[in-house]
Amino acid sequence: MSKLVLRDVSKTYGATVALSHGDLTLEAGEVHVLIGSNGSGKSTLCKIVAGSVRPDSGRVEIDGKPVAISGPQAARTLGIGIFYQELSLAARRTVEENICLSDLPMKAGLFIDRATLSDRAARYIALFDGVTGEGFAADAPVDTLRADQRQLVEIMKTLASEAPILIFDEPTSALDRAQVDRFFEILRGLKNDSRTIVFISHRMDEIFAIGDRVTIIRDGRTISSMAIADTQPPALIRLMVGEKEELASASAPAPAPDAGKTALAVSGLSGPGFANVGFDLKHGEILGFGGLHGQGQSAALRALFGANPYVSGTVSLAGHPVRIATPAEAIRQGFAYVSGDRRRDGVITGRSILENVTPIHFLRRRLALVRPGALRKAAEPAISAMKTRFAGFSHPIDSLSGGNQQKVVIARWLIDRPDILLLDDPTKGIDLSAKADLFALIRELAAHGMAIILYSSEDAELLANADRILVFNGGRPVRELTGEDRTRYNLYQAAYEAAFGAA
Amino acid sequence: MNGIPPLFRQPLAIALLLIAVLLVLGEQLSPGFASMQQILRLLIVAALLGIVAAGQNLVILGGREGIDLSVGGIISLSAIIAGNLMNGADAGIPLAIAGCIVAGAFFGLLNGLGVTLLRIPPLVMTLGMLGVLQGLLVVIRNGIPSGRAAPVLSQFVTQPVLFGLPGIIWLWIAVGLLMAFLLRRTVFGQRIYAIGSNEHAAIMAGVPAARIRILLFVLSGVFAAIAGICLLGYSGSSFANVGEQYMLPSIIAVVFGGTSLAGGKGGYTGTMAGAVMLVVLQSILTTINIEESGRQMIFGATLLVLMLFYGRGRAMRT
Ligand SMILES: Nc1ncnc2c1ncn2[C@@H]1O[C@H](COP(=O)(O)OP(=O)(O)OP(=O)(O)O)[C@@H](O)[C@H]1O
Ligand SMILES: [Mg+2]
Repeated sequence: MSKLVLRDVSKTYGATVALSHGDLTLEAGEVHVLIGSNGSGKSTLCKIVAGSVRPDSGRVEIDGKPVAISGPQAARTLGIGIFYQELSLAARRTVEENICLSDLPMKAGLFIDRATLSDRAARYIALFDGVTGEGFAADAPVDTLRADQRQLVEIMKTLASEAPILIFDEPTSALDRAQVDRFFEILRGLKNDSRTIVFISHRMDEIFAIGDRVTIIRDGRTISSMAIADTQPPALIRLMVGEKEELASASAPAPAPDAGKTALAVSGLSGPGFANVGFDLKHGEILGFGGLHGQGQSAALRALFGANPYVSGTVSLAGHPVRIATPAEAIRQGFAYVSGDRRRDGVITGRSILENVTPIHFLRRRLALVRPGALRKAAEPAISAMKTRFAGFSHPIDSLSGGNQQKVVIARWLIDRPDILLLDDPTKGIDLSAKADLFALIRELAAHGMAIILYSSEDAELLANADRILVFNGGRPVRELTGEDRTRYNLYQAAYEAAFGAA
Repeated sequence: MNGIPPLFRQPLAIALLLIAVLLVLGEQLSPGFASMQQILRLLIVAALLGIVAAGQNLVILGGREGIDLSVGGIISLSAIIAGNLMNGADAGIPLAIAGCIVAGAFFGLLNGLGVTLLRIPPLVMTLGMLGVLQGLLVVIRNGIPSGRAAPVLSQFVTQPVLFGLPGIIWLWIAVGLLMAFLLRRTVFGQRIYAIGSNEHAAIMAGVPAARIRILLFVLSGVFAAIAGICLLGYSGSSFANVGEQYMLPSIIAVVFGGTSLAGGKGGYTGTMAGAVMLVVLQSILTTINIEESGRQMIFGATLLVLMLFYGRGRAMRT
């Protein structure tokens, strides 16, 4: 008997059909992968199972018995735990409080039992010993953590539910390889306990590493399910995007660095979280930043963008030294910065898609008045270049799927092309075909002379797209990989060992 | 938002409905309450409140617990400055207006600098400023007379000037149009919403958040100063702490009009309706002989109830 069966569930939001026909069968002891493009309905399906979205129609059975999932609390009692793609953490609360949030241990029915809470949380924190990174502590408030660390907390919180059915909606999007490896180890353990696991990711290698079965969902319909062992990535991609479409090839136009001038020269840049960062970036070049998470890559990029301070070092643009103190200045100087942490750095919550895509345009063009017609026209090419799925510019950005929100955030930088594009794990949450489009676009931008820095937590992405890679370790670049040296092996080796002098 | 009746998600509709209900109720309690003349009188008071609430609205929209408790002090100060600068003579009006706006902008600027540069929470900063202003008013009052309104000013506020409506109502309509334009059609307006909804993301998108927030407090000071001048025109001469009674209602009008105290959500149209509603309510309370202290209590309670209804929007999206 199957653990959980969904039959023909559907959900519409006004005119948007989020899910038109969802069928899903989950077995005990399996990792069931859901795969589909951005906006295809994966999160909607998960939220229906978790009781946070009420379906318009459909039936649910658990252990063969029909059940009504009337709300999140009901789902918990039915044994369903969920990792929300957009996270469900209380920002001002500590890590341990968040882990136990849905079931706080009480004393005398009134007070929080601190000791029990700490003990319980510590069990889940210990699962990730060694990969949580700097600044992570049981008593650290969640809003002081990095994106990957917050994601780990959400994982811990989900695990702490100890539910027989665990749903993970893009839990790995900000995690680095070591963190993903650890997470997969934990999942395998749960599987042996015959727990049922749903796993969503846009990373093909992860899907094949951990999945037992896969269900493909396209345009709100679950179109087929199969054993992972019986399929191959190209076949999955075809099912996902439909027969007609082809994935854009990331290296379409040959890299044409006009062997030209240096766009950005950085030397001896040091500040909180990074030290002695130096490089020359030419027009037309894509420089990769590699290494494990939090080794200073993001911190250095943010410092270049004026979002974090730096204490020493020099930055020069086209040969002229500059000192950039705020993002606004950086943008005026021609910088763009795409953050993968869209909840914190990107999305202006509650506002329309148009308002989310235009702020850079306002600044670059020094506009004072809002003319929606003209703005739509200006934003249209950028937004469709990102293949964003959306109902209308005036809809709130929160009504988009996670990946589509990220596309809007990226699009805002492409209306007026910057000179230097800083990409800080930009593809977090966006699907395979959009990713391919994005990198094709980036390559084209480079071919037109844009200078680009790409930091990615996904090694494959880095290896496929960067002309050379600076590997960071302990806050500083320890090794540069160029040409033939840009291999996965070298990247790992540098990331893990370079600190001990192997470079 | 589950559990809240759909009607309560339309603050403007509720406010308008409540105004109608209150007018009918008032007419029952005391015939003549809803006469044209009475309604005009109520609108004049509502305009005074509405102008103060415009500044309050901006500060609240800007988020980061934005609120301006010093408006009452600025209104009183402005009334006394205006009264002295014009002292019953029409010729003094331009100077009075200029003087009041400068004073309002100055104290607003101090609020803004305290909130942004010194990172003092707005509640504390503007409460402190209110204290400073109250002290200042005592000092001023001991030294100089309260001054009188110029005839033209009184006329502007209390007598019909165009289509039977007093000038202050036209002024309020102009403020309404200006606010709508500012919030919907200017980049400045969009930036207010942006910093109110996600300040960090706004900064990353190049929005000069600190500068905008300072400007919001300055504007609040200026609106309060303008209200102070009008208040002088309304009552003829300024008296101790005339502005005090506007602080709480200005906040209630904004919240009632659907602007979230968390910032980033709302607008001025609702606030205008909220201001009218409050003034009608106040008038009913007066009609049934409820003392000032009682009215204050009812207002405070109203704010708390509103918070219950509207304050929940902050729950995490799942
Ligand atoms: N609250 C909402 N209001 C309106 N539309 C919504 C809402 N939530 C989701 N949608 C729409 O439903 C569709 C499916 O969204 P969903 O979040 O399920 O996609 P997804 O498969 O999880 O995508 P992603 O890979 O980007 O996370 C999208 O078109 C989205 O715009
Ligand atoms: Mg999703």
